[in-house]
Amino acid sequence: MLQTLPRRAVVALLALSVFFPLGLVLWQSVLSGPFFMPSAQLSLESFVFIFEDPDFWMATRNTLIIAVGMSVIAIPLGAVLAFIMVRTDLPGRRWLETPILIPIFVSPVVLAFGYVVSLGPVGFFSVWFEALFGHVPWNIYSLASIVVIAGLTHVPHVYLYSSSALRNLGSDVEEAARLSGASPFRVARDVSIPMVSPALLYVGVLVFFLGFEIFGLPLILGDPEGHLVLTTYLYKLTNKLGTPSYHLMAAVATCIIAVTFPLVLLQRALLKSAQRFVAMKGKSARQRPLALGPWKWVALAVIALWLLLTIVVPVSGVALRSVVSSWGTGINLLEVLTLDHFRAVFEEDVMIRSILNSILIGTFGGALAVGGYLLVGLATHRKADGLSRLVDYIVLTPRAVPGLMAGLAVFWVFLFVPFLAPLRSTLFSVWFAYAVVWLAYGMRLIQSALMQVGPELEEAGRLVGASRARVSLDITVPLIRNGLLGAWLLVFMIFEREYSTGVYLLSPGTEVIGAQIVSLWASGAVDVVAALSLINMLLVGSGLALALRFGVKLHD
Amino acid sequence: MTDKTILSVDNLALSYGSNPILKGVSMQLRRGEVVSLLGPSGSGKTTLLRAVAGLEQPHAGSVTIAGRTIYDGAAGIDIPAEKRDLGLVFQSYALWPHKTVFDNVAYPLKLRKVGQGEIAERVHAALKNLGLGHLAERYPHQLSGGQQQRVSIARALVYNPPVILLDEPLSNLDAKMREEARAWLRNLIVEMQLSALVVTHDQSEAMAMSDRILLLNGGVIEQQGSPQEMYSQPQTYFVADFMGSNNILKGRVAEIRDGEACVEVDGQLRIWGRRRSDAAIGQEVKAVLRVEQLRLADGPGEHRLAMDLATSMFLGDRFEYVFHAGDTLLRAWGNRPEAAGQRWLEFPPDAVWVF
Repeated sequence: MLQTLPRRAVVALLALSVFFPLGLVLWQSVLSGPFFMPSAQLSLESFVFIFEDPDFWMATRNTLIIAVGMSVIAIPLGAVLAFIMVRTDLPGRRWLETPILIPIFVSPVVLAFGYVVSLGPVGFFSVWFEALFGHVPWNIYSLASIVVIAGLTHVPHVYLYSSSALRNLGSDVEEAARLSGASPFRVARDVSIPMVSPALLYVGVLVFFLGFEIFGLPLILGDPEGHLVLTTYLYKLTNKLGTPSYHLMAAVATCIIAVTFPLVLLQRALLKSAQRFVAMKGKSARQRPLALGPWKWVALAVIALWLLLTIVVPVSGVALRSVVSSWGTGINLLEVLTLDHFRAVFEEDVMIRSILNSILIGTFGGALAVGGYLLVGLATHRKADGLSRLVDYIVLTPRAVPGLMAGLAVFWVFLFVPFLAPLRSTLFSVWFAYAVVWLAYGMRLIQSALMQVGPELEEAGRLVGASRARVSLDITVPLIRNGLLGAWLLVFMIFEREYSTGVYLLSPGTEVIGAQIVSLWASGAVDVVAALSLINMLLVGSGLALALRFGVKLHD
Repeated sequence: MTDKTILSVDNLALSYGSNPILKGVSMQLRRGEVVSLLGPSGSGKTTLLRAVAGLEQPHAGSVTIAGRTIYDGAAGIDIPAEKRDLGLVFQSYALWPHKTVFDNVAYPLKLRKVGQGEIAERVHAALKNLGLGHLAERYPHQLSGGQQQRVSIARALVYNPPVILLDEPLSNLDAKMREEARAWLRNLIVEMQLSALVVTHDQSEAMAMSDRILLLNGGVIEQQGSPQEMYSQPQTYFVADFMGSNNILKGRVAEIRDGEACVEVDGQLRIWGRRRSDAAIGQEVKAVLRVEQLRLADGPGEHRLAMDLATSMFLGDRFEYVFHAGDTLLRAWGNRPEAAGQRWLEFPPDAVWVF
């Protein structure tokens, strides 16, 4: 059949792009050495090695502490924030919506760096605080600090899901409770929160497994005191034995996937049950906001404090650090202002290349990725068959693989597949890794756009004589133009923000800002890191400004 | 099957999973005929239409259009929707919002590789025919509901399909426009000698528009026939109840005489009617009484009963009287207001069916 052939080709290519790198990781984990060495044999010795390494167990313990700790912080805060923003008459709600979502789009490695220069032992805010109060009560490098920062920066994720669930909740069910005699707070406790609990459970699982994959924060904040997590442990393994210890890294990655993959499947099951809840929703009539009264000042203060801690402090730190030559106690910042760091960046070809590459991968790469996601979306659009279900699972799989490891697996693919080898040191390899890592995110954007198209518009096309492919081309795609533009802008921001996926793919020609920062941080080039971080934030910020200008919704 | 048959559906069966929707439906549509698929929601009428169009997947039976088999479960024939050459007017009209009226109507011709000049000619002719000549450059959102419906019809007719399918064509119009559109649509179909299959849930719409009605119930055809037959000779309780405005009285058979039966309601009312089932004396039955056939009478007489009038309601073109009949209410129509109290009501036996 002519119609099913391209469809199968798209799905086959997708399956290969996802399962080949992943399969390589799993296979590598049961070899005694790097898979390209002739001496490598089937063996479990890499698992034996890491299980005997006390560092591995410390990293596992820390990872669990962080995953649990950040869930405990992020979920109640995010849910309360969502309730205040959606259901109350808090002044300035509309204005606050965008700042709340910013942490999602700022690279964690940049945020971590911002915390170091703001709240570290000689950070700007620490110095000011010490001058005022005599001593600094916090230690930014402690495990507790990492947990708190990870928790605070993941509040927006919880906010996103619970606010959209609250918005979908018809006010009629709440009004029914009010008329039955419940006070506004009883309504929230007995009706609103229970009705969004599937969304909260879903996002709880999400935050927990994001805890297993965080890399930038513990890399920068955990290093001085030696707090390892599984991803940084994996990163440090690179040269543990002198030769590339790919088999050990693959074993660690397999352990992480063994935890995250079941969580991804659990999430999928939870989403299904959450949708059942949504199907029962009442009419989404205009909702009457709950009057906060004097409590609004408390709510505003909590939100302001949170914004201060998660955005203002780290971002202002990065901005300030990028324009001063030295910092610390007794230094008048006005006297050390300089643009030297930016000059240094623009004098080096590598830096200029990494900036250009970052822009290229966000714009062209983003468009290309959206195009690819669109093909996959169209291949499964309105086709509830086995192939579509298969695609569902393929799309979810990369979520379970930390970006760092996905980048390494893609590196292996480009290293050893003969016809791909020449592309390894081109931006294509980085783009491919990014596109696979963000597959689930991109597909959600495409699918929600496709869902907006009424089925009868496509059926009308079929009836008047257009084939499936023709209907896609002439009707479906033109109708979702705006959705595609929005997806492109969001993918642009996500690609600018990405840092861990490019780490192992970093070579002359494939430099991108995020990976460059990780690599420069290790060499201690703080001045350049500051300048690059600011440039990175400016790129993301311009994407954000464009998205807001075009009215792109930052969430679905 | 005569050579006048243009659409023939034979024993078509369709299920969603293990849930059967069509349980073997057969029907014919003759050239130049309008057939309505009527039935309550869930009866399978829309599914039947969509299966003919190729938008639903049956699992057995066959569909033939103008002598060409487009679906045959046994022979494994299943022509895709775009190759069936049918015209479908969607309930929501399904106009493509990114194309102008002209482009919407021109698209089927473009797909058929008709030349530019001829496309323009035929589209303008079709639009003019439907009174849309001046709207060609508009976009669908700039049109009223009635205009959108006409564009949707123009799009379905422009390539001269042998059969046109209409899915609830009037349900998106407001009540007042619906009656005008009904007359306009019937006139259009007759004038253009179209063969049309129409899905509707509204019995008066079906009776007004069609030459023949198929009443579906639970995935099978309950009864088919001309609107008059369907209305005045219902074969089953379901048909009698579905067509027209009815009073339903439950009681027991008290007496049987020639094709007539006497129903005793609550041990007091005794009403004679046509016997439509083989219920014997003493068995529980339902009597269906057409509201418009019950008449107020000025005194006692044959088939007349004294009833207690509760109230009368003004409906604009007539009055509706509400009587107490045991535990239930009985409705009748008349053309003057009546005060509450005892009244005589006439029950003509040929307007009462006993099932």
